[in-house]
Amino acid sequence: MDLLYLAWRNLWRNRRRTIITLTAIAFSIMLVQALHNLSYGVYAGMVDSGVRAGSGHLAVYHDNYLATRDESLTFQDRDLIDKIAAIDGVTEVLPRLYIPALAQSSRESRGVVLIGVDPTSERRINPFLKDLPAEAMVRSTDSRDAVIGSRLLKELQINPGQKFVVTAQHRDGTLHSELLRVRGVVHSGMKDIDGSLILIGRQRATVLAGTAGAVHELAIILAETRQEAAVHRQVETIIGSRPEIEAVSWEQAMPNLANAIKLDYASQKFIFLIILVIVAIGVVNTLLMSVMERMREFGVILAVGSKPMTLRVMIFFEAFSLGLLAATVGTILGCLATWYLVKVGIDLTDFVPESLEFGGVVFDPVLRATWDPNWMVRIALYVIGLTLLAAAYPAVKAGRVTPVEGMRHH
Amino acid sequence: MALIELHNVSKVYRLGNQKVPALTDINLKVEAGAFAVLAGPSGSGKTTALNLIGCLDHPTSGQVIVSGLDLGQSSNRQLADFRLQNIGFIFQSYNLIPVLTAAENAEFTLMLQKVPRSVRRQKVLALFAELGIDGLEQRKPADLSGGQQQRVAIARAMAADPRVILADEPTANLDSHTAEGLLDLMRRLNCEKGTTFIFSSHDERVIERAKRVIHLQDGHITADDTVPS
Amino acid sequence: MLLTLAFRNLWRNRRRTLLTLSAMVVSAALLILALGVFSGMFRDMLASATEQYHGHLVLARDAYHERRDLFAHLPEEIVHQSLLADDPDIIGRSPRLRSFGLISRRESSQPVEVMGVIPRMEQQVTSLQNQIVAGRYLPADQDNAAVIGQGLARKLDVQPGDELVFVTQAADGSIGNDVLIVQGIFATGDSRHDNNLILAPLPWVQKVLVLPGRIHEVAMTLADPMRAAAVADRLNRHMPEDVTVLDWGTLLPEMREVIAAYDVSRMIIVTILYLATGLGILNTFFMSVMERTREFGILMAQGMRPWTIRSLVLLETLMLGGIALVIGIFCGAGMTFYMQQVGIDLAGYITPVTYAGGTILPRLHAVFETGNFLVPAGMLLLISLLAGFLPANRAARLDPVQAVREE
Repeated sequence: MDLLYLAWRNLWRNRRRTIITLTAIAFSIMLVQALHNLSYGVYAGMVDSGVRAGSGHLAVYHDNYLATRDESLTFQDRDLIDKIAAIDGVTEVLPRLYIPALAQSSRESRGVVLIGVDPTSERRINPFLKDLPAEAMVRSTDSRDAVIGSRLLKELQINPGQKFVVTAQHRDGTLHSELLRVRGVVHSGMKDIDGSLILIGRQRATVLAGTAGAVHELAIILAETRQEAAVHRQVETIIGSRPEIEAVSWEQAMPNLANAIKLDYASQKFIFLIILVIVAIGVVNTLLMSVMERMREFGVILAVGSKPMTLRVMIFFEAFSLGLLAATVGTILGCLATWYLVKVGIDLTDFVPESLEFGGVVFDPVLRATWDPNWMVRIALYVIGLTLLAAAYPAVKAGRVTPVEGMRHH
Repeated sequence: MALIELHNVSKVYRLGNQKVPALTDINLKVEAGAFAVLAGPSGSGKTTALNLIGCLDHPTSGQVIVSGLDLGQSSNRQLADFRLQNIGFIFQSYNLIPVLTAAENAEFTLMLQKVPRSVRRQKVLALFAELGIDGLEQRKPADLSGGQQQRVAIARAMAADPRVILADEPTANLDSHTAEGLLDLMRRLNCEKGTTFIFSSHDERVIERAKRVIHLQDGHITADDTVPS
Repeated sequence: MLLTLAFRNLWRNRRRTLLTLSAMVVSAALLILALGVFSGMFRDMLASATEQYHGHLVLARDAYHERRDLFAHLPEEIVHQSLLADDPDIIGRSPRLRSFGLISRRESSQPVEVMGVIPRMEQQVTSLQNQIVAGRYLPADQDNAAVIGQGLARKLDVQPGDELVFVTQAADGSIGNDVLIVQGIFATGDSRHDNNLILAPLPWVQKVLVLPGRIHEVAMTLADPMRAAAVADRLNRHMPEDVTVLDWGTLLPEMREVIAAYDVSRMIIVTILYLATGLGILNTFFMSVMERTREFGILMAQGMRPWTIRSLVLLETLMLGGIALVIGIFCGAGMTFYMQQVGIDLAGYITPVTYAGGTILPRLHAVFETGNFLVPAGMLLLISLLAGFLPANRAARLDPVQAVREE
């Protein structure tokens, strides 16, 4: 029968009150954990689709290219692609050349950025090309084939199979034109992509821009996002001998996506914070009620010779038991909710028009959670800490009573 | 030196803006081994006097010395320790902790003294047998009769072997038969163990059995009779 | 009478009532603040698309709306017709001719959109003149002036005063090619505008495209942007067959989706938060009802009907909800007002986020929107009633004989 045991028994004096409070805490933990895991999963999906369409989990650039997007900052890839592709965890290395150009049909012209790619590897990775039939892809790196966004096709008023002209500035300063033929059409659902995308073979792009053998970007796609740091170090070693190029993470290369996630998560955190504040007020209320009801008993306990500190510790033990129990129950519920969200997910197919876009990437309309056990434990510990914090006022109140006052109560 | 000494003790309560004198200029000595009752009608100052003797409260003026400890010179912490070691309490409404079993309630002071579990359990079992409530150890207070609860309260007061046991109207909620049994029990403990008992009561049954009767009226001692044994 | 009783009962256990009240006030006030800030983000997003680019309404030929057809042009005079000029809802009109092409300076070139405008009229529709970070806005008198986005200026490494060459395909099939002098640089935070957009005088673009006296669209600003769809409907009744006025909701369907999705998530957030608050209210009223068992017994013994008891308890919870509401709205409005006037600058932590056709600026800035007050307020009263229901039922179902005996 020690203090902890006494505290546990005290907790169940008013069973209904304890259960309601417990429910409120556990429910909030479940909610916060499940919502976090859901966002965690959705963000992971966004990052995955974002890096595949964009510059990869890691990207290699010429120094300064990222800041200026100056198309003269190319570099020779030489054996880099093979070396980086050999690193454990790397799925694909995509060489890309970005060339600002004027695309012209017989009626219309649009300023565009041509992307010179390696068609085989690009098709394996890029989500925009997922639904593109194999025969609609650019056939070889030096062919005149182009894969083009559906809206751009419409604006240029041409059809698949028809020709159009692109004009770009050559390294020598003059304007060079090339004739291309529409091979495939991409319909991503994102206005910006559909209105501007033109993929061509890498060789053809270098001919147009006069940058033989050079690329602007090596997009490195990993099997899993969490390998990023390890692969990053190995890439750094490989490019170490070439000071003019650098490797950057997707967060730097695609700040829009990284910030969209940050912003969304920050607003979510604010909501979490409000939930926890409300829970804390509830705990203060419950503990305070239970202390006020027991003033007489506290008087007796003090009279028989216990110190005020003992009472305070007892109240903290009560709060601790409550917090621990609620954290356990809440985490179990949180696990169940997460399990459901992982297995089944939330299907938004009926609610969104054709594709869900956020932060410049399209993602799956079925939202699925991903387990983040560390965070779940952390939030459970926070709640226990919060319960203890909430016990401070009731504990002080209990410790301040004098035996005579206490016994006169009620 | 007597076990308990009160010198010119006064106690004034504040009730809003009014001052209500509870005790006025009391002088009292109680020797060890006494079996005394503070008698008087309600409002005469019995409970106040008992609280002072029990080191639960400070006097407004005057000096209270219990077993050599001067109440006015001691911190609340020291007083708590002193009560734990030297004083046992029995209350009119028993005041057992409802969530603990009878045995756990009796062990409470021993737990505060950090006595090991097995030792205190043994001691409490012996006390329960002596008090005639053996077999009720695992019952909760709510499942005990008034007399049984008061016996558990006595066990709690006795468990730490205090020098003084203070009992505030211990028989007020009990029927005659139970009350007399309880008083005989306390009288026996007084004789056998030499524990000092001080009651506050206006119950004739208590006054009849006391060895010393101190009459209080409006905060003054009006009579102090020692009954020859 | 019942009202007075209910009010007095609330304050019997002052501390408990105040704590419950504080939980309700905190949840309502912070919710109002959070919703105000979220709305602020959407307002920024909408503004980046309308006040910095489209305007609230756009009049153009269908082929132009659909695919930016170079040849789907209109006469310049259309902007002065009385249908538009005399409409009380329209406070700004700007004729525009748009050209897509390549802009270059030395070895560097970038794809751009050049919007030919009349500076005086364009300023009634877009607010770019307030976002000039270097140089000045388009002057009224210079025919080859240009203001360009900050991102574009950085990529091309140009300053005000520098020359740029613009290349595009003109309406007659020739390659138009002409020089612009940079007058100013604007920064909106929206990466698409900052990296792509150039404003130039309308006559200059007309000359480059060989479309004298023609425009592609008329962009318009309304006094109340929320009435855009209605005004567009009204105007469309008088439009020729192949000309349509589109409101921003139609121009930016993605953004309309985002705003609709926000309305749903607002309900979800409010519900979730109030469930936690509701359990606190439930707890308090259970306590309060249990404490008063004896009292209810006496009231019933004197002939009070169970229904009256139930109303009494519900009235108490509703009253608490009402008080929380008043204080919560007051605090929430106060914080929203602060965030509207002062706000928090996040430029050090994040960059602007572009999605769904708009840009969220890196700042926390609240706006007042009725729904952000009505939804939390209505839900708070509802949850108070729901949370009062169980305790009220319990009080009403008491057996007076047993209740009176209760200690």
